Amino acid sequence: MEKPTLIINGKRLDGRDPGTMRQIKISINPIKNASGSAYIEWGNNKIVSAVYGPREALPRHTQDLNKAVIKCRYTMAPFSSLEEHGRPGMNRRAIEISKVTKEVFENVVLTDLFPGTEINIFIEVLQSDGGTRAAGITCASVALAASGIPMRDMPFAVSVGKAENTLILDMDKTEDNYSTADMPIAINPRTKEINLLQMDGELTSEEIHRGIEMVIKAGEIITKTQKDALLEHYQKIEERI
Amino acid sequence: MRKIVLPGDIIAEKPLRLDHTIVENGKTCSTVIGMYDDEKNSFIPMEGLWYPVPGEKIVGIVEEAKLNTDVIGLNAPYKGLIISKFSETSVVNGDIIEAVVKELDKTGTVILSRPRVLFGGKVIAIKPSKVPRLLGKQDTMIRQITEKTKASISVGMNGLIWIKGGDSDIATKAIMRIQDESHIPGLTERIAQMLETPSKE
Repeated sequence: MEKPTLIINGKRLDGRDPGTMRQIKISINPIKNASGSAYIEWGNNKIVSAVYGPREALPRHTQDLNKAVIKCRYTMAPFSSLEEHGRPGMNRRAIEISKVTKEVFENVVLTDLFPGTEINIFIEVLQSDGGTRAAGITCASVALAASGIPMRDMPFAVSVGKAENTLILDMDKTEDNYSTADMPIAINPRTKEINLLQMDGELTSEEIHRGIEMVIKAGEIITKTQKDALLEHYQKIEERI
Repeated sequence: MRKIVLPGDIIAEKPLRLDHTIVENGKTCSTVIGMYDDEKNSFIPMEGLWYPVPGEKIVGIVEEAKLNTDVIGLNAPYKGLIISKFSETSVVNGDIIEAVVKELDKTGTVILSRPRVLFGGKVIAIKPSKVPRLLGKQDTMIRQITEKTKASISVGMNGLIWIKGGDSDIATKAIMRIQDESHIPGLTERIAQMLETPSKE
């Protein structure tokens, strides 16, 4: 396929402005067996995340007697996208994303309260349309909050990229494939600490700074969606009475 | 004013000494979902795990009865341990027991004392953060349930509850309702009403 023109007359392929995000919808505790879980619809991305634990870390050689260990598993369902991902389970890409996601939450969860235990975070992509690692982190942080595991902050993530010499926020599948650069960022909203920053392609240092500012600004919307979803979950019980 | 706070929310601009919070840069932030009352300066977690405190009563299930020690499952990230040298009660695998937390090991083991075997009945699990609400002020709530349903109930602070005899089904329903609705005012009246209704039928 030839490279499509990604921005025409200041509008992107799906009609968004360069600085606009896709619609986000989050619901809490779809999985009853888990300690906490969340389901996110981020544009066409559909992701379920579940958190189990803290529980005894097995096999025992993975235990750390000073803190809890976080184990993360990101997988894409075989039916999640049009190409690739034909075989279920972990592949090279899934192992990498699991590792970076694990490191995001190691910085946020108060692991020293539960020595010798493990916290399992599962992220399952049911339908993918670009930016699943960012959506997965956003979803998992809501699942962790719903499970009652103490955390310093509720991180969010979103990607920023560059196409046709313009910085664009929250790239979808086509933009991801044909853009000049792609940079997913995870941030703690309260302290503005960066937990994850990966980059493919080329950006100037001035563009990186501008990109991070765009992400922090977009984070206000994502954080509000996350918090509204959690608050709504408790208000629903109130309305039922 | 009571309000729901979420992890990372700043609850006060000054350092406060409260459970389930951390102080960063001189500000107090919550670490779990909970209710914060700024007038009474109290923080009640809505979701959360059990943090053992010496002297608390627990309910557990014997997982491994050995010669010197018995390992107790507590439905928590910690394992319970009874040292046989200090207790006269002998237990077998699968027994439901009630005991008191004696001390906490650094490696995440809870050493228990004064075990008592609970015969028969069933065990249900609720969120450990809801146990104080289930007990009520000076145990009023749980006493109300035991009096109305005539069931024997033993509540462990770890979230396991043993129920036997009486209208144990109604007691279970009431306990589950307390778990779901604990953050909404007027709970005691609703539970009282719920326990009254079936007896009329």
